[in-house]
Amino acid sequence: MHAAFLAALERIVRRDAILRDETELLAYESDGLARLRERPGLVVLPNSAEEVQGVVRACHEHGVAFVARGHGTGLSGGALPVPGAVLIVLTRLNRILDVDIPNQRITVEPGVVNLEVSRSVGAHGFYYAPDPSSQQICSIGGNVAENSGGAHCLKYGFTVHHVVGLELVLPNGEMVHVGGSAVDLPGLDLVGVLVGSEGTLGVVTKATLRLLRIPETVRTILAAFESTEAAGNAVSDIIGAGIIPAAVEMMDRLTVEAAEAAVHPNFPKAEAVLIVELDGSSAEVHEQFRVVEEICHRRGGTDVLIARNDEQRARIWKGRKAAFAAMGRVSPNYYVQDGVIPRTKLPEVLRRIRELEVRSGLRIGNVFHAGDGNLHPLVCYDEGIGGQGELAEQVAAEILTYCIDAGGSITGEHGVGADKACQMPKMFGAADLETMLLVRSAFDPRGLCNPGKVFPTPRLCGEVPGPYRQHPVERAGLAERF
Amino acid sequence: MADLLQPASVDEVAHALAHASRAKLRVAVHGGGTKVGWGPPPPADVGISTRRLDAVVAHRYGDLTATVQAGATLAAVNRELARHGQWIPLDPPSADRATIGGIVATNDAGPRRHRYGTPRDLIIGIDIVRIDGTAAKSGGIVVKNVAGYDLGRLMTGSFGSLAVITSATFKLYPIPAASRTVVIDVSEDARLKGSRHLTDTRSASLSGERPFDRLDAVVSSLLASQLTPTAIELETKPLRLLVRFESIEAAATEQARQATRIAESNGAGTTIVAGADETALWEAHERRAWEDDGAVIKLTLLPKDLSATLAWLASTGEAWEMIGRAGVGALLLRVDGDAAAQARVLKDLRARFAPGRGSAVLVRGSEALKALVDVWGPPGDSLPLMRAVKQQFDPEGLLNPGRGPFGL
Repeated sequence: MHAAFLAALERIVRRDAILRDETELLAYESDGLARLRERPGLVVLPNSAEEVQGVVRACHEHGVAFVARGHGTGLSGGALPVPGAVLIVLTRLNRILDVDIPNQRITVEPGVVNLEVSRSVGAHGFYYAPDPSSQQICSIGGNVAENSGGAHCLKYGFTVHHVVGLELVLPNGEMVHVGGSAVDLPGLDLVGVLVGSEGTLGVVTKATLRLLRIPETVRTILAAFESTEAAGNAVSDIIGAGIIPAAVEMMDRLTVEAAEAAVHPNFPKAEAVLIVELDGSSAEVHEQFRVVEEICHRRGGTDVLIARNDEQRARIWKGRKAAFAAMGRVSPNYYVQDGVIPRTKLPEVLRRIRELEVRSGLRIGNVFHAGDGNLHPLVCYDEGIGGQGELAEQVAAEILTYCIDAGGSITGEHGVGADKACQMPKMFGAADLETMLLVRSAFDPRGLCNPGKVFPTPRLCGEVPGPYRQHPVERAGLAERF
Repeated sequence: MADLLQPASVDEVAHALAHASRAKLRVAVHGGGTKVGWGPPPPADVGISTRRLDAVVAHRYGDLTATVQAGATLAAVNRELARHGQWIPLDPPSADRATIGGIVATNDAGPRRHRYGTPRDLIIGIDIVRIDGTAAKSGGIVVKNVAGYDLGRLMTGSFGSLAVITSATFKLYPIPAASRTVVIDVSEDARLKGSRHLTDTRSASLSGERPFDRLDAVVSSLLASQLTPTAIELETKPLRLLVRFESIEAAATEQARQATRIAESNGAGTTIVAGADETALWEAHERRAWEDDGAVIKLTLLPKDLSATLAWLASTGEAWEMIGRAGVGALLLRVDGDAAAQARVLKDLRARFAPGRGSAVLVRGSEALKALVDVWGPPGDSLPLMRAVKQQFDPEGLLNPGRGPFGL
């Protein structure tokens, strides 16, 4: 790091807000995707939006790249440091700035934890809808960057549906406001582009969010099925009956076993466990819940459990939300994949995944947001066994090709980040990517803001964007494509 | 009148745009022509109509998604989707003529946005052609998808200033089985007429006597309740709310009953409407603000600022009418009178809003009025960024020149 740049930073933030010590930097080498690690040039922990602006402006003036990071729970390496770059950690911007219950708005800083938002308005009967499984620790800034979803986004949408205004520092250090607290402010929908841009267009310093009224009634049912197909058929019937549940979640035998070992939710041992939650007006929920119950029975559901109270409901959700972390109980290492398929393609894609499981010899657990076709295959491996880590990575990548073949997406909620940038050409053509990069050029013409994420580069991918080509690892005979 | 091209395929759109771009011709994009008065008409050398691109490309009813071409009218698309009991739950005016492309480009919506949002909330994928003829897409056919930048949302509200939309993919909803509308009259205190519905004398004294206060009390109580209406619509002639519940029969009737209780406890009179009367009520509502003369302003504000805005309008002495989404804060204001009076109202209205808390965009006005006021109002500090985006997509300013927000 240049002395002049360091001196500039020290004029903006307190000296102890700059971390340069090797051991201190260690904690910031990766985000929730621990497989990818990079040493940042330095870490800075600004205390205010003005300090963020000062830091970004200094980066701009000295031509230094920067990466914004919230609480580091991202699963695609979106906050992976770039060597020699500044990592701007926003955890100290954790204030709730304004609560406006009558207008159903809240304005928060990016470091505020997702669940804190709901907690701060719960007494008024309101909540913040997006509920990623990591909601106890993940930050709103990170949610904005990733357009985070959650189990309940089937009915209530993603972060982008709940953000109405943003304050952000542009990569040139200017501070701008997009959207506001009122809806439909005239102009291009820059909020719509910024949410989900994975920190590549600027650093958000404030977000104004919509609050929702807590529903009158919530009812949750859990049922066991003899196969994922049978459970999938039940889901099809529910959707076909004109019912939009608040959430539909499916877990397979392996992930149920893992969850059972970790948090003891008392789930039935079955090939598939389906969780369906309805919420809304009592009259609607009671009638539709009766239909859901009937469908579950008709499709062969057994061990039907209906949550009688909030405690039982919380227990069911604890089992589901702990599923990723619980895999540690059944496998030394595991690779979390995130792909999306049209929901009706579930049987076909699951069959391919099972074939892959047999062929690769690696166990693959599956957790789905079954209502919207978002799959989370969990590829189990043992790092101690030579080559298995790389094999797991290949298997996980192979699953994404099934998603694309089915007309789906390479990521439903974890983001592209550093992890899948090289997969983007499988889903988008060169003209699509080039068009997206026009947006990037408008916001960040010098490419200093979170470089190397989302979009493939020859340096990162070892191949030019375009249709699939043999990976250098394959060419060298170190791995093969299934 | 510039030549009007009517391409029948994406390739033809691309070819036409590439040609225009090489020849430095300015291009105006046309859909159903229902919003040509929004903003200034673009000076153009050639027009491109999307009307022959009118197919429902795919209705994946099991997945609750559909891909439709830009030139199809919303009504035609929804007729097709209704065959499987589904729809794009958008209800902007003139759905029989307004095209998907135009609705997306203007992010237009109607009363049901209270529940379903606007096109930006429903779009999951888009296909566009840039001015140089490059065809590109973003998003896809799945509801949940965070791969790449969201160009679909970037196009919503862009007024065709960035690219020509050729098709869009939406998430769909099941068509509700039943509907009830509660008409809530807040113009006078129903209890002073010896109403039989008087239930709560304490809240009567709190809710105030004046109509706009009563309106505010009813809207606030509805928003604070756990009711799930699909629309909370304001009308000012007479001053009343139309609150719609669409669900299964039992829920629609039960919720309408509950809304009635809320309204009456705030001193409002109520009527529950269903069937053909309800359909007629909403058809008449849609035409309001547009069928009479006068300037029309699209107004957005925070719901709690609505009654004060109405009270202020009443104090101006001008003749006006307002309808719209009281629970969301997206309304249409029609102002009679001469251009000078209309301009005064628009300017004073804009001055009432702190940045980010409201907007007033002129969507219909005489040339005289447009000469006196800016159509869009103050742009805020993100205008240079919007210009930078326009510059990237259309560096020579050939596409719908001056048509986009703030003249992009």
